[in-house]
Amino acid sequence: MRKFLFQVFFAVVTGLIGAALLHLVIVLALPDFSERDAYTRVLAEGEIHRFYPLGEKPDAAGLSKDDPFVDMAVCAFDVSERPVRLTAANGGVPFWSLAIYDQSSNEMFSINDRTSAGGVLDLVIATPVQLTTLRKALPPVISQSILFETRQAEGYVVLRSLAPQKSFAEIASQFLSGAICAPFEARSRSRF
Amino acid sequence: MFRVPFLIAVALVIAFGGGVWSTILALDATVGFGAIKLGAWEAFPEAQTDKADPYAKSHRANAGKLLYASAEGLTFTANVDETGARLAGGCSYRITGHTPPARFWTLFAAAPGAPAPSIQSDLPTALNSRIILRDKDGNFDIALSASARPGNWLAVPAEGNFRLTLTLLDTPTAGSSGLIDLTMPRIERTGCGNA
Repeated sequence: MRKFLFQVFFAVVTGLIGAALLHLVIVLALPDFSERDAYTRVLAEGEIHRFYPLGEKPDAAGLSKDDPFVDMAVCAFDVSERPVRLTAANGGVPFWSLAIYDQSSNEMFSINDRTSAGGVLDLVIATPVQLTTLRKALPPVISQSILFETRQAEGYVVLRSLAPQKSFAEIASQFLSGAICAPFEARSRSRF
Repeated sequence: MFRVPFLIAVALVIAFGGGVWSTILALDATVGFGAIKLGAWEAFPEAQTDKADPYAKSHRANAGKLLYASAEGLTFTANVDETGARLAGGCSYRITGHTPPARFWTLFAAAPGAPAPSIQSDLPTALNSRIILRDKDGNFDIALSASARPGNWLAVPAEGNFRLTLTLLDTPTAGSSGLIDLTMPRIERTGCGNA
């Protein structure tokens, strides 16, 4: 009997060690296997290279605004073939901000209206190789743009605009609906 | 006769049950390590970065939230008042003081895990730095209650516990470790029931 109790105790200890191992394995592996992470949800919004405004209620992809005063739009991008340019005209929103995340939702870059040039969103996301080509002959259209170099070809962008009072709601949503997240075609000299 | 299968079953049940249960518990309990605690408020300025700890990364992969990046803002949450008691819907609270420097801030109350209140609501379920009334020093005094109050009133859920979310937008403190010296508004309970 005593031997059996000892064996049960041994089994419990083995189980606890296994539980601790499993705990670590799940915690470390979850980011790679999660189907509910932000990037998967942004991709589920629809086609990439488009801003999708978020509502107060979670949409089909499970994303929603997380602050009553802050309107949000998301866009997934892939710069493996061509750079992506983000633009939005500022029609008078008191505050906007933009964050670029990689596939594992790590922040790569962020900016707001005060740190941008002239309060206008104009940003080009490109890989180091594309950026070298771009810089060699910088197209005049993007001469004022902020150039962001990334080694992660895929990721997503979150654009927020603040509507502190109801009268700002339209301006804030117009800012988001007018925002463009599209591949940028650099006109090369080979056209001559 | 069944001793060996029984022992193996015990070990497996404890390993899988305990492992999964403890993971769910750990991911639900907190956003991760590296919290900044200022009174009742806590924030995770590095939760969205690559420097976040494995628990924070796991939590955010599971929650799927769009977090604020460092140039955007910093979100503080409070589940307790200044004395450490849970914020309860049946009680009234006062939030006094001022926030760390920021261009804007927003404040709302919601049940833990519940979505943010709608701006279309008839009640003032969310406040921000533009619509708040301040005294001559720039400090504010917000009454939290389920029933209407004069001055700055933030409507909170009438029942159950709630969580306060204070988001500082464009704050220099988001990336700074000097945040510890900054002061956050105090949350004090003024009474419960109809008091």
